[in-house]
Amino acid sequence: MAVSVRIRRQLPTSPWLFAAPGLLVTGAFVLYPFVSTLVNSFTDRRTLLPGRFVGLANFRELLHDDMFWTGLRNSTLYIAGVVPALVVLPLLLALLVQKNIPGITFFRSAFYTPVVASIVVVGLIWVWLLDERGLVNSLLETIGIGRVGFLSDQWLLLLSAMAVTVWKGLGYYMVIYLAALANVPRELHEAASVDGAGPVRRFFSVTVPAVRSTMVLVAALSSVAAFKVFSEVYLMAGPTGGPAGEDTTLVMLVQRTGTGLTGRVGYASALSVVVFAVTVALMLLVLRADRRDES
Amino acid sequence: MSALDVRQRVRPEPPGTARREPRVTDEHGRRVRAGELAWRYLLLLAVLALTVGPFLWQLSTSLRGPTEDIYHSPPSFLPARPTLHNYTRVADTIPVWDYALNSLKVATANIVTNCVGSALAGYALARLRFPGRRVTTLVFVLAMLVPVEGIVIAQFTTMRELGLNNTLIGVVLPGAVGAMNVLLMRNAFRGLPYEIEEAAYVDGADVWQRFLRIALPSVKGTLAVVAIFAFMGAWDDFLWPLIVLSDPSKFTLTIGLNYLHGTFADDERLVAAGTVIAVAPLIALFACLQRYFFRGVGEGAVKG
Amino acid sequence: MVSSAANSPTQQGSRVTVPMPRRALAAAAVALVLPLSACGSGGDEGGSTDASGKVEGDITFQTWNLRANFTPYFDRLIAAFEKKYPGTHVKWIDQPAEGYADKLSADAGGGTLPDVVNVSPDLVAPLAKAGLAMDLDKAAGKYRPEYLDGAWASHQVPGMSGTYAFPWYLNTGPLFYNKALFTEAGLNPGRPPKTYGELFAGALRMASKSGGKVATLANVPTIEDFGRYGVTLMDKQGTAFAFNDTKGVELLTRYKELYDAKALDPQALTATPESSGKKFLTGAVAMNPGSALDLDNFKKNAPSLYRNIGITDQITSTGHVNMYVMGVMVNAHTRHTPAAVAFAHFVTDAQNQMSFAKKVAIFPSTAGSLNDPYFTREDGTDETRVRIAAAKSLKSAVNYTPVLFSDQMKTALRNEVAKALQGRESPKQALDNAVNAADRLLRQG
Repeated sequence: MAVSVRIRRQLPTSPWLFAAPGLLVTGAFVLYPFVSTLVNSFTDRRTLLPGRFVGLANFRELLHDDMFWTGLRNSTLYIAGVVPALVVLPLLLALLVQKNIPGITFFRSAFYTPVVASIVVVGLIWVWLLDERGLVNSLLETIGIGRVGFLSDQWLLLLSAMAVTVWKGLGYYMVIYLAALANVPRELHEAASVDGAGPVRRFFSVTVPAVRSTMVLVAALSSVAAFKVFSEVYLMAGPTGGPAGEDTTLVMLVQRTGTGLTGRVGYASALSVVVFAVTVALMLLVLRADRRDES
Repeated sequence: MSALDVRQRVRPEPPGTARREPRVTDEHGRRVRAGELAWRYLLLLAVLALTVGPFLWQLSTSLRGPTEDIYHSPPSFLPARPTLHNYTRVADTIPVWDYALNSLKVATANIVTNCVGSALAGYALARLRFPGRRVTTLVFVLAMLVPVEGIVIAQFTTMRELGLNNTLIGVVLPGAVGAMNVLLMRNAFRGLPYEIEEAAYVDGADVWQRFLRIALPSVKGTLAVVAIFAFMGAWDDFLWPLIVLSDPSKFTLTIGLNYLHGTFADDERLVAAGTVIAVAPLIALFACLQRYFFRGVGEGAVKG
Repeated sequence: MVSSAANSPTQQGSRVTVPMPRRALAAAAVALVLPLSACGSGGDEGGSTDASGKVEGDITFQTWNLRANFTPYFDRLIAAFEKKYPGTHVKWIDQPAEGYADKLSADAGGGTLPDVVNVSPDLVAPLAKAGLAMDLDKAAGKYRPEYLDGAWASHQVPGMSGTYAFPWYLNTGPLFYNKALFTEAGLNPGRPPKTYGELFAGALRMASKSGGKVATLANVPTIEDFGRYGVTLMDKQGTAFAFNDTKGVELLTRYKELYDAKALDPQALTATPESSGKKFLTGAVAMNPGSALDLDNFKKNAPSLYRNIGITDQITSTGHVNMYVMGVMVNAHTRHTPAAVAFAHFVTDAQNQMSFAKKVAIFPSTAGSLNDPYFTREDGTDETRVRIAAAKSLKSAVNYTPVLFSDQMKTALRNEVAKALQGRESPKQALDNAVNAADRLLRQG
């Protein structure tokens, strides 16, 4: 960091010129709308009717709204279900594709394909796969298990959505781990080998400690994403969130209450603010982990 | 361990080198035993089936004729008589090529603005000293956390005040410089050793020259990552183009596909053909850029 | 790292230090942001309800998911209008099915609502309340006799005087049933259920005979089902919902019995119209409401079902079947009131509705049109039989869904009904909760 002081010859205006396009776009189309969301959260505004200032009424209403608690439960469950899988599985996958054996670049790219595909397409594909008469159920029936209502049971729906999130995220986090694994000095592995440690012992005694900060980073990134989950559940459980709305997540609730011609913009804004606050808290974890990583 | 080092290791081997060698070696140049090699390939193929299989199933569904039973159990993986009929039907129903062209325009513009905008801003955040740098960084971090679903209407109002609703520019603008991309570029620039720029500085290069001639070429990989993200984002977006566009001649592919889904929801073959049209360009683009992409990842680009 | 802006010497001196009460600051912030993001109901352009001037100018006409199938019809329609009124130009835009309400609200909020808009009664209500839909009793009252009374009234909003859209096409349909499944269960395929009592008894029998494999119904009851069962949905003034009366509880209790016996499909809680249609197609469900449009689909996609298809009337306890109404509203802020009103009327006039009805299985809302031979004369085909029966029932049909029943209320009802069916709440409690939620949403606007 001390080095940065040395680079000094610049016109005083140029940093702002560099940052201007990004700042303008972010300011006008993200922050300004968000500030108005923040303001709206203290009003009873509706889509077509201006609101009045209602203080904390929206936030008080949240506490008595069963759907809010259902949403909070599901978003939290989503973190619990998805994050461990996304911390561990991509690491194992990265170890698998790390060795430069013939054809490995093909495998690496292929494993990344689900990340590249759009979530709407992924949703349509999986809804068709998990359909009562889709491929997965045909296979299950063929091997004698029988058909499973993946898309009709409250908990199976949530699990299926989580599975899709993990499926789509594997490649993304695999690549992050690949970068981290490249940093593990080979001497460590060799020393462990000499000591007679098998691959499993080496994994726990060498690999895991070496990529621990990356694991923290992946955990934080994936929990922020999991908490804001919308598309997977929306596409699989439908806009009303599965049976009795039991699969509704917080962001789905924001979308449902706040949109349409009769949308309660004020209340949905309050929900957005809560989602934002929780994500900021989760992100603070990342920044702390990141800082530890740097030092 | 510096970032440059990482890059070299993650970068895929130049094609041919591994094959020309008599034995298969790992990333440290050590020999891999035959038994280990066998189970590695076995596992790789298993994961391959899991990650790519669903796409192939979709492709297979889209190639089946109207008389073929697509619900059969046990399932048949290959269409009995492959036909492109469903693709022609998609093209008959919606002007799919016009929509694809619009999507392409939007996606291309999005790539350019994101690469330029986030490289500039990222460089400023990583390399330039100015009062407000921390606040500016924070602005981008916060922007990344804002839940998009809550602010769409306010975005539209802003766009209308600018008179850009119902234009493709209006579609591009809100995502023109993604906060996430700015932070990616910042991290990439921060990973570069200062010494390189210092030499140029001593030679009298000003800040623009240092940016263009030295810093930028060193982060090509991250730029590829940003380009891919920008393309994916623009190509996928549904809600925003729907809201900002009114004129059917300006619609993008996702809105067109939604027509298809809304009109023929119970025709799996047609929907499958539509999804293949939507996803194929992404996979093609990625296949072309994957070499740069994996290099970009090595620069530490993906670290939040 | 970097000195922050706060303690740089140049900034300290220029800082404004006038204290400002926090409340005032918040109020100022509200004042600053709200007008920018608030709705465009205060627009000052156009807004005249006087449609008597010369019909001219450029107008925009927006339909809802009709482009994919009916482009030639609309192209001809517009050409005919432009020929009839030289100096007019109509731009047609069509929106996808999904997200239509979002599109409308963005346009309404942004002041970019098209001049003439395809709406349904529940979409027109919030637009009328925001002053965005033109009162046609004032602007086009003279056209009123051209339409069926019930259809004209369907775009009136409780609590407001006026009518806010021309009625456009109507739809209703019979109940289809699978004769083969009826026979297998020992039910007489020639005598389908006519009353709710028969329907429920038959459904329970179907379920027990098939060991729970074949359900009779695929959908949970919606607000229109309650209406058709004879439940009073709303009080007379339109200020509160009332579907938690004994009749409503009775219906939900019966549905719970069906659900427990698997006579209501176990996946009904997550069903969509498409998914339940698919189940009927594959013989997992024995009955399905539909329209003449579906016959074609059966013929193409399920030939074996088509051979066994039975067609019967919608079941209703009130003597009135349910109908769906589409409307065409005029933007209250249009700059070309005469042209917009003239075009909205043109689209919905008897002649054009009739030719649209012949393209697709819908029904005109204009007076007398349903007496056209097309809707009365049998020709031996199932399509015609369905069409004639539907046209006949439409003369007394009711749009049961209250105009003020918003999407949020529909979701609340659907979720409470699901809880009752799952046994997590009693039917009474579930309906009480749904009514409370809907009333709260109603009061909020």
